Amino acid sequence: MSRGNSELDRLREGRTELENHYIDELASGNLNRRDFLRRGSMIGMSTPLLGAILAACGSSSKSTSAAGGSTTSSGPVTKGGTLRIGAVAPAAAVNPLTVSDAGGLLMLNQTGEFLIFDSNLKLELQPMLALSWSPNTDGSVWTFKLRPNVTFHNGAAMTADDVVYTFQQLSDPKNASNALSAFVGVLTPSGVQKVDAMTVAFHLEAPNGNFPYLVSSDNYNAIIVPKGTDFTKWQSTFVGTGAFKLGKYTQGAGASFVPNPNYWGAKALLDSTTFNFYMSQAPLILALQGNSVDVIAQFTPAGAAAILNSPSYKIISLPSANHRELSMRNDIAPFTDPRVRQAVAYTLDRVGAVAALLSGKGSVANDYPFGPRFKSTDTSVPQRAQNISMAKQLLAAAGHPSGFSTTLKTEIYQEIPQLAQVIVEDAAKAGIKISPTIETQTLYYGKSTFGNSDWLDGTMSLVDYGDRGVPNVYLTAPLTSAGTWNAARFHNKTYDNLVKQYVAALDLATQKTIAGKIQNLLLQETPVVYPYWIDGLTASTPNVNGLNPTSIAQLYLNTAYKSA
Amino acid sequence: MSIAEIPIEDAAAIQAGRHEVGSEVFRQLVRSPTFLIGAFILLVWIICAIFGSSIAPHSPFAQNLEGINQAPSSAHLFGTDQLGRDMLSRVIVGSRDILIIAPLATLLGTVLGTVVGLVMGYFRGIVDDVLGRFVEAFLALPVVVTGVIALSTLGRSNLVLIVVIGLLFTPLIARTVRAAVLLERELDYVAAARLRGERSPYIMFVEILPNVFAPIMVEFTVRLAYAIFAILTLTFLGLGVQPPSPDWALDISANYGVVPAGYWWEVLFDALAIATLVVSITLISDSVQGAIEG
Amino acid sequence: MVRFILKRLGFALITLWILSVIVFLLGQVLPSDPGRSILGPLAAPSAVRALDHQLGVDKPILTQYWHWISNFPGTSNQYQAPIGPILTSALGRSLKLAIFAFIIVVPLGIFGGVVSALNAGNPVDRTISVVGQTLLTVPEFVSGIVLLVVFAVALGWLPVTATAPPGSGFFTQLKYLILPVIPLVMILFGYIARMARVGTIEALDSDYARTATLKGLPRGVMIRRHVLRNSLLPTITVIATQTGYLIGGLVVVEVLFRYQGIGSLIYNAATQHDIPMLEACVLTIGVVYMLVTLFADILFSLLNPRIRLKAAE
Repeated sequence: MSRGNSELDRLREGRTELENHYIDELASGNLNRRDFLRRGSMIGMSTPLLGAILAACGSSSKSTSAAGGSTTSSGPVTKGGTLRIGAVAPAAAVNPLTVSDAGGLLMLNQTGEFLIFDSNLKLELQPMLALSWSPNTDGSVWTFKLRPNVTFHNGAAMTADDVVYTFQQLSDPKNASNALSAFVGVLTPSGVQKVDAMTVAFHLEAPNGNFPYLVSSDNYNAIIVPKGTDFTKWQSTFVGTGAFKLGKYTQGAGASFVPNPNYWGAKALLDSTTFNFYMSQAPLILALQGNSVDVIAQFTPAGAAAILNSPSYKIISLPSANHRELSMRNDIAPFTDPRVRQAVAYTLDRVGAVAALLSGKGSVANDYPFGPRFKSTDTSVPQRAQNISMAKQLLAAAGHPSGFSTTLKTEIYQEIPQLAQVIVEDAAKAGIKISPTIETQTLYYGKSTFGNSDWLDGTMSLVDYGDRGVPNVYLTAPLTSAGTWNAARFHNKTYDNLVKQYVAALDLATQKTIAGKIQNLLLQETPVVYPYWIDGLTASTPNVNGLNPTSIAQLYLNTAYKSA
Repeated sequence: MSIAEIPIEDAAAIQAGRHEVGSEVFRQLVRSPTFLIGAFILLVWIICAIFGSSIAPHSPFAQNLEGINQAPSSAHLFGTDQLGRDMLSRVIVGSRDILIIAPLATLLGTVLGTVVGLVMGYFRGIVDDVLGRFVEAFLALPVVVTGVIALSTLGRSNLVLIVVIGLLFTPLIARTVRAAVLLERELDYVAAARLRGERSPYIMFVEILPNVFAPIMVEFTVRLAYAIFAILTLTFLGLGVQPPSPDWALDISANYGVVPAGYWWEVLFDALAIATLVVSITLISDSVQGAIEG
Repeated sequence: MVRFILKRLGFALITLWILSVIVFLLGQVLPSDPGRSILGPLAAPSAVRALDHQLGVDKPILTQYWHWISNFPGTSNQYQAPIGPILTSALGRSLKLAIFAFIIVVPLGIFGGVVSALNAGNPVDRTISVVGQTLLTVPEFVSGIVLLVVFAVALGWLPVTATAPPGSGFFTQLKYLILPVIPLVMILFGYIARMARVGTIEALDSDYARTATLKGLPRGVMIRRHVLRNSLLPTITVIATQTGYLIGGLVVVEVLFRYQGIGSLIYNAATQHDIPMLEACVLTIGVVYMLVTLFADILFSLLNPRIRLKAAE
């Protein structure tokens, strides 16, 4: 990469220390193109700049597309027409503060926009309603410059007041917003401050290197709404800034959207979009097969064999952090001994599980919450594989040469009942006899507090975790000593400290180093077994193009069109 | 008088009460083709239930994640399911749970129903009226819906299943027994027993009961078919037998989502197994009824 | 006659009120946490408690009962939307399926029963009887699955689901309902045929019928004009009492064929512990059951000359 060095030096001028640090990493090969794009965009470097730097380093300036992404067109761009999308019905009234299900959040992003867009297709943070953002020296204050000339669907111009209002409502504990899972301990309403009409500053509770993700589309509740909006009535207007505005919303049946003629960006290509709601995934799949819809917004591999194995559908497969956690009560024998926990981990045939339960649409996970979705993952840590003899050895060393009996509690949700059966069968190969109880989610979650929840109290407990843009939540809630979702009762001071450092780390290299330490610690202790990561899947008929899905089940249709 | 109060089934019960179960009935049964066919099929399933693990070519629980959803072949006569388990073995061993739970539930309902029916029919008067209202109320409850609500609340376990079904069948059986008892109590031997000074429980259980045994037996076989029906339906809805049992209804419930993908063998053989079992019980109960009625 | 109807209506209303009390108590007994249901498993316990208080969970029972009755049908915990529209559209869909089933099974059953009676004792009679009895006990999901595999997957003649795409015409909707209707027909056929058989035999044996035959009335005419009317009477009885089985059948068929009727609604409400929805559904079914019984009573007395004449006195 010695060519173009003078060009690179020119580009380095005027860049901040952090930006130069990244350029160094890129030039020395510690950072690959994708990671550089991602990290650079996260700290606010513009796309043209990033492209120029990459070009100067000898790589093409075209942005990458994710493996399996279908941004390639298979026909001329035809404007007009109606796109029919099938989706699982929102579980409740669509209230941006409280939405917590896939159906609901899909509705939010049809008309609503975020400060930043986390693009899974291009693997970078893109400016949406914020043009640029930057941290102070220690990452405890993040300042965002807003995009000018943006109007809401009701005609009002978007200013800092609206952004401040939105985030104050989201971070206020009194509103019990679903976004609190991202903001608790990070942001309080008083920390959201208007600097001027087009600038907002977030004063955080503690330095946080990943903060931009928390106000990006990853935090699916954080669509910007006009100041003073009554969130409980949002469903009747769907007011936002997006390329589409509400046509009609009928609870339980469907919704339609039409292009916003005053949109700040490229106008939508379609004449309208129609969403049909279905109660569960199975009728959704049937609808695509029966040609009642053109697109299925998001589905899981479980039960989708009919379309996954058929060549007649376009499948977009995005790496996502959707996963399952098998926790073991570290405070109940025999799981008090880490060797026993490791033994359980060694019995699991993860490769087989991905092939059988996910039809290959996923990737094997190691026993920690870092994976292909997160750039801070230290990929040098070796992947644990199934090893029954190793499991038996560990059990013998821990004093259980002929195994032991225990119980497992889990929920009826997607492929989890089958995963439970795979776990039971695999564990039996090492002599561990697990008797599973598979219950409805209501019974499994109980009151969601320690002592009142099979999820949190089960000796072994298998639960689902949805996709998030950064692993912070997976590192804290289920595994830190004070974590409210710590089903494993894992209390490890070293771990707690490492997580604190990770959260505060501002640059990728530091994050990676700490991640590596966390990963090795968790492999050693194995409080929780992580079988696999599940891809986010979107399916369509072959003539649909330009879909922009995210792994969180959002679907942007600005660039979508149907070729003849 | 309301339609719901016409005891239509009592007609059959009253007729049946006239006869006793004996060796003559048995001889008639053995000559009846419906009984023989039904009994044969049932016997096959009973053998599967008891000796299943030895008969089955593979373990019903052994998974093969590399060989999932395979169509029937010489290696797997009924194909494999979504976790690569041998369907034939699962169908064989799947007979076990239903053949234990259904008879137990029916037995519970029959025992309780007999007691309630005896009490109602013998004492009549207020006792009959009061119990009758309860019986009426219970009769109006659709078994499946009540089962769904009860099991969602009480949690699923085989014990709860047996108790719930048993209790729901009690009023049906009580009604039949009551009708038969109403007729019997007018007969001479009952009057004679009373004159002798025998106490009511003695008269009910020692004198009358043996003579109403025939309709009770008929009821048992009829209700057994319904018990199988109800339990399998509840299992299909996820509220009956629990995984990882290879129960037929459970497998159907787990696999019918992939039928549109063409994996028909993962549900069809279970469905046929259920159909044959149900038909066999029906044939048996039909022929028993015929034999007793003469 | 009018007095008879009014009296029955009066009884029905009282029973309805008792039913509402029972359903409400049922809801109280079932363990549930509405706040938790609404906010989901991951919400903070303090928020759940606040919402519970807001919903009035800690108020006295009578207040809660009154609140429930006056706000009937109320709001669903899982959908967080008024139950009314959801319930009515679901009921509508189930009625379509049920009426379709009745339209097929009543004539079929009566036909089977009459044929049975006319052939009383011989193999035709036995066959119809055994077939009817057997079909009764085959669970709906079993026949449904076999039908699905054969007609929808293997042959591809009919759709795999019962829900037609939105905006479909009448006949398209009917096509989607063909497969789910068959298991329902199967479980109702047996009883209807049996009752029609009993009624027909009695009618054939009656003095009137014998007199008419002696007088030279052709058999066919006699059957049509007199026997049929009298065999209808017990059949109407059965239809009313079969409502219970039908509803149970609806639950299974709607779940299997993915149809948003009241059966699906009850099933989801029960498994998701959505108590308000469950209460509303059960009460609705109770009302439907009573209406059907009432209707059958009235129809019965209209058709039965004995009761009609007595009431006229």
